[in-house]
Amino acid sequence: MLPRPFVRSPLAVAALVVVVAWFAVAVAAPLIAPAPPLAQDIAQRLAPPGPQHWLGTDPLGRDILSRVLYGARISIPVGMAAVALAVLLGTLVGGIAGGTGGAVDEAIMRATDLMLAFPTVILAMIISAALGAGVWNAVLAIMVAWWPSYARFARGLVLAARGREYVEAARAVGASTLRVFGRHILVNVVSPIVILSTLDVGHAILTFASLSFLGLGPPPQIPEWGSMIASGRDYLVQWWISTFPGLAILTLVLALNLVGDSLRDALDPRLRRL
Amino acid sequence: MNLAVYIGRRLLLLPGMLVGITLLTFVISHAVPADPVAANLGDQAAANPETVAAFRHRWGLDRPVPQQYLIYVWRLVHGDMGMSISTHQPVATDLGQDLPATVELAFAAMLISVAVGIPLGIVAGVRRDTAVDQIARSSSLIGVSMPVFWLGLVALLVFYAWLGWAPSAGQLSPRLSRPPVVTGFVVVDALLAGESDVARDALSHLVLPALVLSSYSIGVITRMMRGSMLDVLGEDYVRTARAKGLPGLRVTLRHAARNALLPVITIVGLSFGGLLSGAVITETVFAWPGLGSYAFRSATSLDFPAIMGVGIVVASVYVFANLLVDIAYAVADPRIRMG
Repeated sequence: MLPRPFVRSPLAVAALVVVVAWFAVAVAAPLIAPAPPLAQDIAQRLAPPGPQHWLGTDPLGRDILSRVLYGARISIPVGMAAVALAVLLGTLVGGIAGGTGGAVDEAIMRATDLMLAFPTVILAMIISAALGAGVWNAVLAIMVAWWPSYARFARGLVLAARGREYVEAARAVGASTLRVFGRHILVNVVSPIVILSTLDVGHAILTFASLSFLGLGPPPQIPEWGSMIASGRDYLVQWWISTFPGLAILTLVLALNLVGDSLRDALDPRLRRL
Repeated sequence: MNLAVYIGRRLLLLPGMLVGITLLTFVISHAVPADPVAANLGDQAAANPETVAAFRHRWGLDRPVPQQYLIYVWRLVHGDMGMSISTHQPVATDLGQDLPATVELAFAAMLISVAVGIPLGIVAGVRRDTAVDQIARSSSLIGVSMPVFWLGLVALLVFYAWLGWAPSAGQLSPRLSRPPVVTGFVVVDALLAGESDVARDALSHLVLPALVLSSYSIGVITRMMRGSMLDVLGEDYVRTARAKGLPGLRVTLRHAARNALLPVITIVGLSFGGLLSGAVITETVFAWPGLGSYAFRSATSLDFPAIMGVGIVVASVYVFANLLVDIAYAVADPRIRMG
């Protein structure tokens, strides 16, 4: 099922294994975690990594390994949801821009220029300051910040597809505008966008963790990697509090990026030499 | 089209973008469900209808919305971004104090990224698929996959807490006083005032956060430079230069790298916006007294005027950076302004 150049690259396969493992952890966290993520072992607070708590405990005596494993249950779905929503909105708007053209197109494109001038984190801070912190608002912030790039990409694809002979042919035989758009243009737009967007999930997970680190994500008791790292800021000497959630983010995002890169190389031979 | 006309055209677009930014921030600040009256006045004052009416009148909240926008822009043009709810100072004053520290940090990080990323990208492109290339590719991939706030904490742990090589967080050691403000950049100001020990101290505080902040853009620039080199090395003129018997290094630098640099200029300019984003996070880790720390404090205390001010400033900086990139590009590549 996977393209051959991908399967031949040991690094790509290893990265894929890591990604699959993290997905499995997200699903099976309650079964494999040694302790519930909120359970406090006050006698063992700030315990270093050892036989009882493999990755140590945090200032409230919660088991870090368990919280890291549970963290995957938030980061992975959030990363996927944020990208999916941004793609949906971006494709819709970009499709309208490319499909109608003229003044509507111009207005939409200028609006995307404008949105892209606001860095994601600043935009997210504005949204959170307005609506309050929370997982959903963080997802919303990423969506608001990212849809313009997808809109531009989708618009480019629509414009390219519109000029193709088969679209002209469909028009010539009398297909309605809606039918041409749905049956002939949309199908050629969706698959490149879906591929592009899967490459961005790692980036979305990273962005979500940053927002959460800044206190713009879920409330602190929820096991989430970014806020776990933030909770270790005042405990530099107890290095394990922030080191392990950070390694979780790094391994997952690095693996996702490696898979994405290798997949892109394998699917697009023109880019392979890059 | 000559260069002056091209630059003129790009400059004409600038006011439009700035109007757009103010329109966008205005819409967001008016779409907010939180009542600005309650947010600005406090419970006791908000209970008094006269105070509320006076407040609404003062801020133009009793006028039609288009008029409110004009008032908003009028105030902005005069440097009035409202009062910060948490610092009780004008937002513009706060931003004026904090912006130089952020620009200093972002600029230092940009210098590091360019100084490391471009040579690394050239070598990786020329020595493609060798060990050097593999190292360059994997380190740049790690750079873009690394949570910058985590890297900052780990750097503090290793270089401050364990090795004692780096000073603690902040922009200057507490025992030293800040040099008189000329540029706002502490390192430059200290040098101008002839206080070399202050300059050295400020520089030592700058190194670690700048390195951490550059981790992402080094990765981006290396990848871009490598890809661009590979494109250019396959060109006919490079082959011709080699066929003429020119030395390899000369061909690499004069013929290939110079042309490969063009698309990288864009990425360098665009990553300045990314650096500002990263600076927000890096600053909170290193207690760097800049825009990022200010934005963070404002966002967590729901200080809406302050966070809007940061948004406007950062977006405007980004728009100007883009403009400079476009102009630099047109100067470097005549095809752009002809097209």
